[in-house]
Amino acid sequence: MAAWVKGGATDAGTAIEAAASLLAKARAPVIAGLSADVAAIRAAYDLAGRIGASVDTAGSIGTYAELGALSRVGALTSTPAEAVGRADMVLVVGAAPWQTPLMKRLIDTKPTRGRAAGSDRALLAVGANATASLAWPAAGGLTEAVGVLRAFARGHLAGDALPGQIAARLASAQYGVLLYDPAELGEAGIEMLQGLAMELSETTRCFTLATGGIGQDRAVVPVAAWLTGQAPRSGFGRRVPEHDPWRFDAARQVAAGEVDAVLWLASVPVACPDWLSTVPSVALVADGASKTAEIVIAVGQPGRDHGGVLWNDPRAALTYWPASAPTDLPSAASILGALTERLTTGQPASRSEPAC
Amino acid sequence: MSTLILRAAPPERLDFLNINPLALSGLSQGEAERLEVGTTRTGVRLGECFSVSLDGADTLTIEGGHERLDRVGASLSAGTIRVTGDVGQRLGAGMAGGSLTVTGNAGPYAASGATGGTITIEGDAGDYAGGAVYAAKTGLDGATLIIRGTAGAHLGDRMRRGTIVAGAAGAFAGSRMIAGTLAALAVGDQPGLGMRRGTLVLGAHGRMAETFVETGAHDLVFLRLLATALRGLSPEHAALLDKPLRRYSGDLATIAKGEIWVAA
Repeated sequence: MAAWVKGGATDAGTAIEAAASLLAKARAPVIAGLSADVAAIRAAYDLAGRIGASVDTAGSIGTYAELGALSRVGALTSTPAEAVGRADMVLVVGAAPWQTPLMKRLIDTKPTRGRAAGSDRALLAVGANATASLAWPAAGGLTEAVGVLRAFARGHLAGDALPGQIAARLASAQYGVLLYDPAELGEAGIEMLQGLAMELSETTRCFTLATGGIGQDRAVVPVAAWLTGQAPRSGFGRRVPEHDPWRFDAARQVAAGEVDAVLWLASVPVACPDWLSTVPSVALVADGASKTAEIVIAVGQPGRDHGGVLWNDPRAALTYWPASAPTDLPSAASILGALTERLTTGQPASRSEPAC
Repeated sequence: MSTLILRAAPPERLDFLNINPLALSGLSQGEAERLEVGTTRTGVRLGECFSVSLDGADTLTIEGGHERLDRVGASLSAGTIRVTGDVGQRLGAGMAGGSLTVTGNAGPYAASGATGGTITIEGDAGDYAGGAVYAAKTGLDGATLIIRGTAGAHLGDRMRRGTIVAGAAGAFAGSRMIAGTLAALAVGDQPGLGMRRGTLVLGAHGRMAETFVETGAHDLVFLRLLATALRGLSPEHAALLDKPLRRYSGDLATIAKGEIWVAA
């Protein structure tokens, strides 16, 4: 078992002790990353509730773009399997979706189910010059571009310009899919894209499908919902979960000097944010480099070192992944459990001396 | 006039939802000083950060603001709050009546969901001033928001009713607007993106989205009534309407009943 405190190798017991004392004296601790299996995400919310921490995820920019639009206009969505099986027309919005494995499946196959079975699949593109049959560079940005397509689909704009042709192709499709990356498109763009799907669905079938996503955000959203009734960015400082996407943005909190301890959870590898090294921090990471944080505890990667429930991207569901190469590394959930136990058996945090 | 004087920078974000003239009028000095305003597990009581002096009046002055003071004047229904200094997020959120003045800058989401009263920010405002918070249906909903300085991006996002007057604003001013009136001397790119109804009066703007079409110059009685209404809030903004105006209609991606008036 590997652990490091301030760069020096130590055993896990000492590291857990050091992590517990760091978190115990913190005024406003943050648990961030949450790129982990469901058991560890649950354990992280449990710990946050016990120590009054706030929670943020590794991919929250994309997650909140998605949730913000969903909360306002709802969503017409499909799954990767449905898109591969049924879509005869795919509009790729932006550059990011072209990098995903799903794109290769869509390019290499034809629809096999439904009304479009046997026909060819056409690819259209907005905002990125890729190998599509129709590509529109969209100089005004993606949100405006999707708005223009929607205006054509509504009949408010007319003509045979490129966006007009793209809107006409989507309207003539049997099963259209609008592919996008939430972090790239943003909340306003997603809202506009949902509007386009709804517009087209007046006469044919058209659905949106989000690609990408960082870490295990898609697992965190349902787990946070069933544990707190809210979206991921919640804080427990006042004992009840408060949801505030602005206040509990970990990067903002660190920049504003509001945080005095961070626990970074990334047992499913994800890029470490730059701000992590600027605050006293504990990192629970698989394949951990000892420099990522003040205290680093190596944990098993779910699905490799031990089994765990993770987001399954191709199936768009939470599924159990057995260990592919079992090791004796502890799970992140067990370390978080040990921290919770250590922090709740001690004296409750006393009120500090007068604050100012 | 009751007064709160900031003694030192707050060690954590403070929540001022429950600090207003009406709530303080029924409290003794000691009770007011013991009000919990902190937001972390440690907590802060009002008296730890502020010198409190109460006289039961319907006017409260907060001397020495700070960008960590959240929800100042939120849900205010009557009375006056004046802050000398800065405030944090959600200034006057959900406010129903009364008057709120900040001499410094405000954080994001000022006047979000406010249904009545007047909110004046003499400095700058953050993003989403008069805009909607996460999952809220509407931004400004009937109140009057005056920003003398510069507002951030998404000014008046999803506003539904009321008036916003801003010196300048960032990109996406009046985005996704449901209805209402927004006047600014200058705004950034793509004003009104996704707007359904509502009126924007602009002195200057950045890139106009392709989903807005110019519908010519007009001389409407409505514009003179609007100028009269704006004159009381800001003569400079009312003067925009005295110039020749170009009208844009949009956003064509939606029901397209919104309009943007641009002074030549």
